Amino acid sequence: MKRRVSVVVLALMVAAACVIVRLPGASYSAQDREVISSGATAHYWAGTDDVGRDRGVRVAVAVLLGLGGAAAAAAVTTAIAAGVGALAAFSAPAIASVLMLASDLFLSLPWLFLLMMVRSFLPLTTSPMHSAVVTFTILAALGWPACARAVYRGTLNLRSSEWMIQGRASGLRPAQLLRRHVLPHLLPLLVPQFLICVPAFIVAEANLGTLGLGIAQPLPSWGAMLQELDNSASLATSHWVYLPVIVLVMVLLLLESLTAEV
Amino acid sequence: MRTVVLICRRLGRTLLLLALVAVGTILLMRFAPGYFSDAREMDAKYAQREQTELHQEEATAGTFGQLATGTFGGWLHGDLGSSRQYGVPVTELVRPRLRVTALLLVRGVTFGWLLAVCTAFPASLWRNGRTLTGMPFTLLLAIPTGAMATLCLLADMGGPVLVLSLLLAARDFKFLARVFNTAWTAPHLLQARAQGIRFDRLAAAHLLPHVAPQILGLATLSIVTALSAIVPIEVIFDVPGLGQLAWSAALNRDLPVLLTITLLMAAAVSCAGMIGPRERMVQTA
Repeated sequence: MKRRVSVVVLALMVAAACVIVRLPGASYSAQDREVISSGATAHYWAGTDDVGRDRGVRVAVAVLLGLGGAAAAAAVTTAIAAGVGALAAFSAPAIASVLMLASDLFLSLPWLFLLMMVRSFLPLTTSPMHSAVVTFTILAALGWPACARAVYRGTLNLRSSEWMIQGRASGLRPAQLLRRHVLPHLLPLLVPQFLICVPAFIVAEANLGTLGLGIAQPLPSWGAMLQELDNSASLATSHWVYLPVIVLVMVLLLLESLTAEV
Repeated sequence: MRTVVLICRRLGRTLLLLALVAVGTILLMRFAPGYFSDAREMDAKYAQREQTELHQEEATAGTFGQLATGTFGGWLHGDLGSSRQYGVPVTELVRPRLRVTALLLVRGVTFGWLLAVCTAFPASLWRNGRTLTGMPFTLLLAIPTGAMATLCLLADMGGPVLVLSLLLAARDFKFLARVFNTAWTAPHLLQARAQGIRFDRLAAAHLLPHVAPQILGLATLSIVTALSAIVPIEVIFDVPGLGQLAWSAALNRDLPVLLTITLLMAAAVSCAGMIGPRERMVQTA
């Protein structure tokens, strides 16, 4: 029940964001120099930021970009984890050891430092969309090890189950076994991993953006929008500056409730 | 004898991991698409001269071998190389900041754990305790560290230690409450409670030894979480620690400094992993 409510609210938020983005004249990058750091007006329902951009549209784009990017990165990371975990479980012990050592290696790397390092070494001329793709790709590339370990354990248990032995005895090839029997049984493990990764990636992107190492301007992202809180002048003029934080917390709470339910 | 072998094996694995982390980090940096791009390139005034300098740098330290030799040479020399940004030995930059960060971590982890244990333990004794007590922690969990630190700064309430403590408490509360709850309902504890054994004896003799390995495992994860959180916290609160130095090095593409801090953090994570009983932890989670 709670899960359904969360899904519906999340879907409504995404739908509202899509509508706001598609409204005539809506632009996340257009600057209105006449109205800078303003509160709600007839034209800008959530006010404008410190360079006169529509905050409402920017938050809507940030919702779509954050959720879309994090979901895509989570899907990639879950797929990598499923592949590595299943491969380790079905291959020779030496290969399994190497793969698990690789996952240990990735687990030993401090995430944020690595993200900062890779992100900071991107070319200075990186386009905003390219920086968004790179940020989420890095997140996806670094998020798989913990999930891969869980998948490896799960697959090992499945591998020694009686119905798998029966399947092998019946002459099913490893690929067939994986596709028809192992993957469907791993879904209850992979779905929560995916759901855990989505809010984790959103938070990671927000933290990177707060440090100025996330998605480049003018593309709106959670991290870039949270940087507005540093500007005490805009905080004094309008309470709408808090809108990105409120929406971000709402999205994360909804995602968290989905994870808890699963 | 078996314990010694186990310790040696873990130590060897940790050292191997650290060596791989070092090599991986250098590889990653060297082949990052903009490794040789520099802020000076953007300035037309310096473009020609700086381009030449950058090309010279690429020629002298461009390959992985040259980069690795330079880095490991700096370590063997004892000064961890020279900072590209400040032009001083990395040890001079890292040493004073290490103490600041260590102090912040110790305080943050201690207070965070106290908060988490002090709320999770009573909550586990109460039927709806976990749900009700967990609400504020769930809310805290939904606020990114950077935003939490900024909000604290704006409200002029609390400092880096509070933010780190709240973050860790929020992360650990649910797990701790579940561990305590499961332990309380274990058959041997139910039997002991039915026999009327005093609460303090019950907790000291039966509950704590039962949950200690899982708590130790969670403690190692807390260290990892805290290490990741120190960057935004130190940057926002202007704490002169390693996190702030790493951020500054990242913005200025200072490879030797960033590499040293990344390896220090990786060493801390690996050592924390050595202490924790990982297998049991994974099963319980």
